[in-house]
Amino acid sequence: MTREDFRRELGDAFDSISGPPSPALPDRVRSALVEAPERRGPVWIAALAAAVIAVMLVGVLLVTNPLNRPLGSGGTGTSTPSSSPNPTANPSPTASPVYNCTGSSAFIKQQAVPPLALIDAVRIGTHAGYDRLTIEFKAGQPGSIQVRPQTGTTFVTDPKGEQVKLAGQDGIMVVINGADSHTAYSGSTDIKTGFSGLLEVRKVADFEGAVGWAVGLSKPACFHADMLSNPTRLVIDIQTS
Amino acid sequence: MIGVVMEQRTQIMARAAEGDAQAFALLIEPLLDQSYRLAAVMLADRSTAEDAVQEASIKAWRKLGQLRGDVGSLRSWFLSIVANECRMVRRQRWWSVVKVAEVSPIPAAGGRFDETSTDLKTALLRLSPEERLPLVLHFYLDLPLDEVARTLGVSPAAAKSRIYRTARKLRSDLTPEEVF
Repeated sequence: MTREDFRRELGDAFDSISGPPSPALPDRVRSALVEAPERRGPVWIAALAAAVIAVMLVGVLLVTNPLNRPLGSGGTGTSTPSSSPNPTANPSPTASPVYNCTGSSAFIKQQAVPPLALIDAVRIGTHAGYDRLTIEFKAGQPGSIQVRPQTGTTFVTDPKGEQVKLAGQDGIMVVINGADSHTAYSGSTDIKTGFSGLLEVRKVADFEGAVGWAVGLSKPACFHADMLSNPTRLVIDIQTS
Repeated sequence: MIGVVMEQRTQIMARAAEGDAQAFALLIEPLLDQSYRLAAVMLADRSTAEDAVQEASIKAWRKLGQLRGDVGSLRSWFLSIVANECRMVRRQRWWSVVKVAEVSPIPAAGGRFDETSTDLKTALLRLSPEERLPLVLHFYLDLPLDEVARTLGVSPAAAKSRIYRTARKLRSDLTPEEVF
């Protein structure tokens, strides 16, 4: 094969992926540029405003010390002290978890810019009424965590974009930004549990500070998620009864 | 003629640097086709690629000061912003269902289906977007090695190495002479 043959074959393959741009693209870009906020002034003003807000947030954090409390729980992203249903027959760091059975996501977000958190352990356990997944961090806390229930157990890996299917009927996608799962973690990246609720946990992304762990469940997700300290860890309890 | 064109681009750049958005649009318009093709291959989604190019254009406009009026570096600078935007898009959507570009077999000349091309396309789509990037820049957009290097933010030797390494993933028997 000559260099020209290889180049031509690649060009054809790339052509079939991309195709030509829409003829309207230049107009669309021009309109967006003209309508975009003015280049310098608003950017500097926005940066200044962001800096002031950040300083105020840090001050509020220092005064209220919220990191000693759970950062959030299923569904609403806020702490939900309640007496119902409590799966913590065994010692648990959460006083009154409430399960999110609505299919909505749980979102846990740090208020200040954190250092990159290193995942150093992923553990599973089964208890009376619930199965537990624990993801433990060292060297700081992640920027944000999203716990997204989904129908089915097919997930997409990042950055490869391949589809993988986990055991079970439904799943949860745990998206952790501002973390990595390869520097300090040397354990299994595909854990098959043999439990009744939590069936499989598999790492599907670990790229440029974004980590994804997929969870396969035996039935639609009914869970609560909390961020706990000493050591810093994300705990997701999946209700089994 | 080239000198005249460069002179015009320098003047347009000066106007853009003074805050003229229309001038900036004029400056990047010749780059939009290449930018779109880069984004479409990285994202494997044509519609998202156009969105990414639009967003990258706005970001480039806001960062124009970084270029310090260097018209000669405009293309690699702009393409690197497009590539970064594609990475950001992928990070935002990676947990959602990945849309694959419409896979419609393109009949080769004479109406026959080109199996080799389809095999290569499948192999390309199996590569990660980061692996596809140097190949797109060098083989599809025809950028010379030093411009590929500037776009990737690496040395020319590193760019060459990445191109060759990735090309060998597509055809393991390729020699450097067949690639460069």
